[in-house]
Amino acid sequence: MGHEDTRGDMRECGAVATGGRAVPARGGVGVRPLVVAGKELKTYLLDVQALFFSLALPLLLVGLMVAAFGGQDEFHATAYVVNLDRGEVGADLVARLDAAPGIEVELLDEGTAARRLDRSQILCAIVIPPGFSDDVKAGRPPELIIRRRGTGGREGQIVVSYALGLTREVAGEHLVAGRVTEVLAGMGRPAARETVDARVAALFAEARAEPPVEVVEEAVGARAEPVAIYLPGLVSMFALFSLTLVSVGIVEERKKGTLERLMTTRLTRGELLTGMWLGSIGRGLLQILFLLGVAWPIFRIFTPASFARVVAFSALVVVSAAGIGLVIAALARTAEQANWIAVFFTMVMTTLGGSFFDVSGARGVLGVASRLTYNFWANDGLRRLIARGETLASPAVLTDMAVLAGIAVVSWAVAAAFFRVRADER
Amino acid sequence: MAAGTGQVHERGDAFVEVRELRKVFDGITAVDGVSFTIQRGEIFGLLGPNGAGKTTTIRMMATTLPVTSGDVIVAGHSVHDDPAAVRRHIGVCPQELALYPELSALDNLMFFGLMGGLTRAEARSRAMENLELVGLADRARHRVAKFSGGMKRRVNLAIALMSRPELLFLDEPTVGVDPQSRNHIFTTIEGLRDGGMTVLYTTHYMEEADRLCDRVAIMDAGRIVALDTPHNLKARLGDPEKVTLEDVFLHLTGRRLRDEG
Repeated sequence: MGHEDTRGDMRECGAVATGGRAVPARGGVGVRPLVVAGKELKTYLLDVQALFFSLALPLLLVGLMVAAFGGQDEFHATAYVVNLDRGEVGADLVARLDAAPGIEVELLDEGTAARRLDRSQILCAIVIPPGFSDDVKAGRPPELIIRRRGTGGREGQIVVSYALGLTREVAGEHLVAGRVTEVLAGMGRPAARETVDARVAALFAEARAEPPVEVVEEAVGARAEPVAIYLPGLVSMFALFSLTLVSVGIVEERKKGTLERLMTTRLTRGELLTGMWLGSIGRGLLQILFLLGVAWPIFRIFTPASFARVVAFSALVVVSAAGIGLVIAALARTAEQANWIAVFFTMVMTTLGGSFFDVSGARGVLGVASRLTYNFWANDGLRRLIARGETLASPAVLTDMAVLAGIAVVSWAVAAAFFRVRADER
Repeated sequence: MAAGTGQVHERGDAFVEVRELRKVFDGITAVDGVSFTIQRGEIFGLLGPNGAGKTTTIRMMATTLPVTSGDVIVAGHSVHDDPAAVRRHIGVCPQELALYPELSALDNLMFFGLMGGLTRAEARSRAMENLELVGLADRARHRVAKFSGGMKRRVNLAIALMSRPELLFLDEPTVGVDPQSRNHIFTTIEGLRDGGMTVLYTTHYMEEADRLCDRVAIMDAGRIVALDTPHNLKARLGDPEKVTLEDVFLHLTGRRLRDEG
């Protein structure tokens, strides 16, 4: 295509996009950071792979917590039973004990039980003696032998308590059947004992299946369960890890030249930084909401009010972590540097800050070092809200919030001071 | 018109005036007292081997790199004293594909339009116009990540036009594109010039400069070694119909290999 020809072709196009007057000043200063944040969020939500991993990781963490702590909040014990009785009542007692919630029966012979007790392999054994069924059926008080080492252990004591209660229940049912048989005979309507036993047993079974008392469980505040201790650590660790990794993306953008290009528009450096900060916060909030939202129905550790408090506190945790992410983006020159700083920073902060173990009472060097971490204050506040049922107005939680807000402000200031839009900027 | 190794100072209807521009990085002088002017509606070529200082010059002119000394005046505004005012008149198409691959072409353009001070409705309308201009209107809602290299280059150019700049910086806009996309970019640029836009163009392809540029400055080692129309530059070596701009370029900058440093 010749020179003249192309000019001719493009005269029409030239009318579409030509230079002329400068774009008039429009668009509020406050709007542009929000547009940048919106772009950051949209980019995040459109990156299916990144979205999958960022949401799959919380699911994996919750899964690990279920595997680690699932069911441990319910009582669980093994009842070691030696059944020397040959009758059906003894067998019925064993069956009822095995059906009790949290109790599993392991039948032992007398010798094995004695040996294991002797070696402290078990602390308590319940012996159903010979003639147990006969005594119950005859209306005589049955005998139950408890062999224990020391106190029998806390679980053993609970199991014994259960066994005694069930023995009274079984004996009571047979006593009632005996009395009913006698009454019927006194009324001139004799009935076979087996028939009365069966009918009375059926009535008691029906009562057990549909007890006349309805128990309603209500979670008040928080429960000091392992998950309530570890969930805060995971939330703070996840927020920090996720948001510091955002720094890698920012460094890559700098390398790609988009940040520098944005600096040729109306956007100021402060607006750019604020926009990216807000975008990180939005992204972090989405992830934390997802994590907490998944944890709520699984672990049942929240009431609506406590969930709202935890979400509000987590927002501040995210704001703070996003600030730290910006600092890393400001200081790192390459994506690899940012990645390693993010990983190293997260590991150190997480460990010292008590994500895996409670360091709130630590003194000395550990006590001082832990308080220098973001995680310490995030974990402390979240544990107070989740495990101890404190509110946002609690002085200790307010202190945590103040420190986190301070970290956010200082981080933002440091990031603003050192942030570069070009890879070669000094 | 002065040429050779001397600096060229022009006066007249200069839309851009570069005055003794200098940039020093850690003791290394990347741009060494460069001066030139660009007339309104002119396509001005800035040529030079790798490391000659072209991109550094453009970045200082586009206000993203502080000048060590000297100044650039764009539409009467100094990049040193009033960079925000300068930005209202310029559009930059950088050498890198500075866009967001995860977003659609339309979203990319709209985002930069909003950053340039347009309203959402204006940004949308102008983005569609620009995509039409670069032949990508039918791909407006497609993700840029799925585009070919040439298509990405055209999106890169379309973004630079969002603010309807009076001065457009095109830093090697045809690198790595196929002949069809390159030709489309040429026609687009020529159309923009015909519409009154002033363009500063850098390239390593001498035939591009010869075709597009009204005047060409050849830089080497941070200085301008020649500045004239392509025809006049070629005439220095012989018959302008037989001499190519590449001959002139090699004559002025030598045949020694250059590495960016």
